[in-house]
Amino acid sequence: MTPSDLEFHVLLALGDGPSHGYAIGKDVADQSGGRLDPTTGALYQALRRLTEEGLIAPAGAPDEVDSRRKYFALTRQGRRVAAKEAERLSALVRAARQRRLYSERG
Amino acid sequence: MRIYRWLLRFFLPALSRQYGAAMEEMFERRLADAQRAGRIRSVDFWRRELTDLFTLAVSRRRRVDDGRDERSPARRLLNGTGLEFRHAIRRLAGTPSFTVAAVLTQALAIAANVSIFALVHRVVLNPLPYPESSRLIDLDHGSIDLKMPSDLGLTSGLYFHYLHHVRTLESAAIYQVRTVTVTGDGDPERIRVTQTTPSLGRVLRAAPALGRWFTDRDAAPGGPPLVVLSHGFWVQRYGGAPGVIGRSIRVSGVTGEIVGVMPASFAFPDSKVDGWIVDTAREADGFGTWDYNGVARLQDGASLEDARAELNALIADAARAYPNDPRAAGNVQTRLIFTGRTLQEATVGAVRRPLWILLASVGVVMLVACANVANLFLVRLDGRQRELAVRRALGAGRLAIVRTFLTESTLLSTAGGAAGIVLAVIALRLLVAYAPATLPRVDEIRLDGVIAGFTALLTFISALVFGTLPLWHATDVAASLQETGRSNTVTRRRHRVRHMLLGAQVAMAVVLLVASALMVRTVQNLRAVNPGFDPSSVLAFSVGLPDRDYPSVDTIVAAHRTIADDLSNLPGVKGVSVSSCLPLAGGCNGNTLLVEGRMYPPGTTPPLALFRAVAGRYFETMGMRVLRGRGITDDDVARRTPVAVVDEMLADNFFPQEDPIGHRVASNLPPDRPGEAPVLTWFTIVGVVGSTPLRTLSDPRRLPQLYLPMSHGRGPGGAGPAQIGPGISTMSYVVRTTTSPLEMIPSVRRTVAAFDRNLALSQPRPLQRDLDRASAQTSFTMSLLAIAAGVALVLGVIGTYGVMAYIVRQRTGEIGIRLALGGQPADVARQIVRQGGLAAAAGILAGLATAFAGSRLIESLLYGVSPRDPRVFATMAIGLLVVALAACWIPARRAARLNPVNILRS
Repeated sequence: MTPSDLEFHVLLALGDGPSHGYAIGKDVADQSGGRLDPTTGALYQALRRLTEEGLIAPAGAPDEVDSRRKYFALTRQGRRVAAKEAERLSALVRAARQRRLYSERG
Repeated sequence: MRIYRWLLRFFLPALSRQYGAAMEEMFERRLADAQRAGRIRSVDFWRRELTDLFTLAVSRRRRVDDGRDERSPARRLLNGTGLEFRHAIRRLAGTPSFTVAAVLTQALAIAANVSIFALVHRVVLNPLPYPESSRLIDLDHGSIDLKMPSDLGLTSGLYFHYLHHVRTLESAAIYQVRTVTVTGDGDPERIRVTQTTPSLGRVLRAAPALGRWFTDRDAAPGGPPLVVLSHGFWVQRYGGAPGVIGRSIRVSGVTGEIVGVMPASFAFPDSKVDGWIVDTAREADGFGTWDYNGVARLQDGASLEDARAELNALIADAARAYPNDPRAAGNVQTRLIFTGRTLQEATVGAVRRPLWILLASVGVVMLVACANVANLFLVRLDGRQRELAVRRALGAGRLAIVRTFLTESTLLSTAGGAAGIVLAVIALRLLVAYAPATLPRVDEIRLDGVIAGFTALLTFISALVFGTLPLWHATDVAASLQETGRSNTVTRRRHRVRHMLLGAQVAMAVVLLVASALMVRTVQNLRAVNPGFDPSSVLAFSVGLPDRDYPSVDTIVAAHRTIADDLSNLPGVKGVSVSSCLPLAGGCNGNTLLVEGRMYPPGTTPPLALFRAVAGRYFETMGMRVLRGRGITDDDVARRTPVAVVDEMLADNFFPQEDPIGHRVASNLPPDRPGEAPVLTWFTIVGVVGSTPLRTLSDPRRLPQLYLPMSHGRGPGGAGPAQIGPGISTMSYVVRTTTSPLEMIPSVRRTVAAFDRNLALSQPRPLQRDLDRASAQTSFTMSLLAIAAGVALVLGVIGTYGVMAYIVRQRTGEIGIRLALGGQPADVARQIVRQGGLAAAAGILAGLATAFAGSRLIESLLYGVSPRDPRVFATMAIGLLVVALAACWIPARRAARLNPVNILRS
């Protein structure tokens, strides 16, 4: 499958290890420079779809935190899909650069 | 938070089942972030979160993999009748301006209704937050002879008398709200406490969150003062530390102990109370004075009427219960009556009427909005006559067609309701933020299930009404099919319906405009009332001297004089004085008043007057006019001269034909022991000043006032009956400044602390604020009513314009023919304006008649203006007629400018 923009950012956010809804939301906002700032509903919709697709899985939570929190972690397949998506994007960037539509300095 | 949970369950049930708790946790933290970032950010946050829930529920992107029906109720509703809904969505999406207009209009009206209903429901209708609160009653008394029909309150002696005999009450308590100074653990602070008998806990069935409530043993005299903290004060002063129980606290100079903390939901008698202390009134003290309020719980099965009958019978015996206290007989003799009400009535009775009037007015806004939307639907219906006729000719039943419309109206109303409730959440926050201080139970206002149900009901009703419109509107199949596409005359009957809609809208707008104009006049009149003093550039606050450090009248007077002198030496201070009771602060202290040389036959009661103890230069500092004679001087205070200054009202009431100056008056005190002659102190009247209001600017129940030098006031204990006048331990200071009064607070605070570091200022505020507060409730009602009227006016004008524009469009063919046959454009325009204008005029007349008939409902809210004020009625009628004619004129002019050739060709 091809992840959506938001889903890809979620995969990226989980690249550093398991995390939970609020923190993932913050990471996504930071990574995207504020372009994406998913609402609670939108984020969990994405988390649910990624779980159904087997790209992420529920993970154990550290003991001391709010028991309502749910932690998620990347699965091996999730890593693969994220890598593939990154490759696809970087291929696009290469193509754009060759056609002088984009330069590193922006 | 709870709203979010509900909406989540409603819109995304599967997601909520799986991740509900985790989502709530994330939502809470994001909400906290947004709130830290400010009000605009949090409003934006709510908008985004809620709209996302809605779009996610409706979006088709999600796949349903397992067999279970994972669609949300919202989605199922959309798919309920399958095709019908999908078609309806497509049709509505095809006419975006219709859809947006219909949804927005409904959302506005629903938001207004839901937020005001929430106010009425949570403040007026919802039971008070105590178990079985319907059995709680307020123990109030009145006196027929003193012309005080209610609001006397209760005395401790009468309370004990009731306790011994009463059968209709399960439990009872007395209380009074006081301000005390607390010291130890930080700066001295003036706090508001309820001083009450331990039985209050039994009456209200209140349990503390921490520690314990008072027991009857705590009320034994001589014990240390025990304090139960309110949740708010516990958090503010002690940071919510659980270890406060058992900590010592100094209350008015006496070391006591904190024994409990009440839950946040407990606020008695109101949410501005910081704590509760024990009242140690004893039966041996005698009949007592009317310083207390009483609250009681009715016996199971007893009614308020039973209690009324029983207590009124018990009052007659009160004199015999206190044979050694002549005050008992003296009071009973003034024909005392028990005037108890339910506690709910006593708490919210004063705001009930304005709130219901507001609810009625937003109800009217709802009707105007409905008329508007109905018109939109009618326009749409006309455009689809042929389609419907074809469907019927092909065998579609009438019900099938109604279902088509019902589907559309359900979609529109649901969207309107959803948007409406979001708007209502925002509106409610604004209402709470700007509510006047006199509105009770503000902290209890929130959305709950009943309000959600009310919203659903409104949505359902409007969906039903608009959906069945075509039923009233019989469709003539044959005629529609025969029409060649140009309708010239068949729509006359439908125009009549439209004109009626137009008239109805105008009528409803008139009613609201008249009501709000009357309120505007009322607020103007209140602002124009001369309060009798000059509140500008005056800082007001009070200082309470603890009994232990200031045990006698002399020490108290000396302390107040020194503080006042120190304050008047501050730069920027023009004058300082002190009074036991400021204007608008209520009755404070009063008694019946004797005039020397006048006899009152036995069995009659001399009239009541209010007593104020003041320092020198009080009238000068307050800016009150001395009309005759002189004011009270520092010298009077220092020498305890027996002089008094009376206000204009006292002069008029007691000395209608003569000059009061030189007469002597005395507080009508009973003798120390029965049979003895009373010891009276006679005061010579030396001056007359202007009257000042007691509670509100429009209060019809004013009382005469009498000013005495404060050295005639009452010191601590004040038990001896020969002591007269108001207590002077706690006095209100007024400081007239040359700069902004608020800027003076720090230096004033320093000066008072320099005199005695255990003293604290209580409620420092510009005196102007007292005056503003006196009309705040009326201003609040006026603002909301004006908003409702404004919305009704705008919707009404838009509706009028819409109807006229549509009629003109329908009649384009006819107009073209008339113009082609030589009709003058001006005549055409005039005819159209006349038709619309007649409908509007009829509506205005109907509206004026309704406003006239309903004028008594609003009468009690008005001041200085008749509810049938002809000027208000005429202005509103003419103004609205002009606006309505303008709304008719624009489409009429467009019709007149049509080119007949183009019309006839098309």
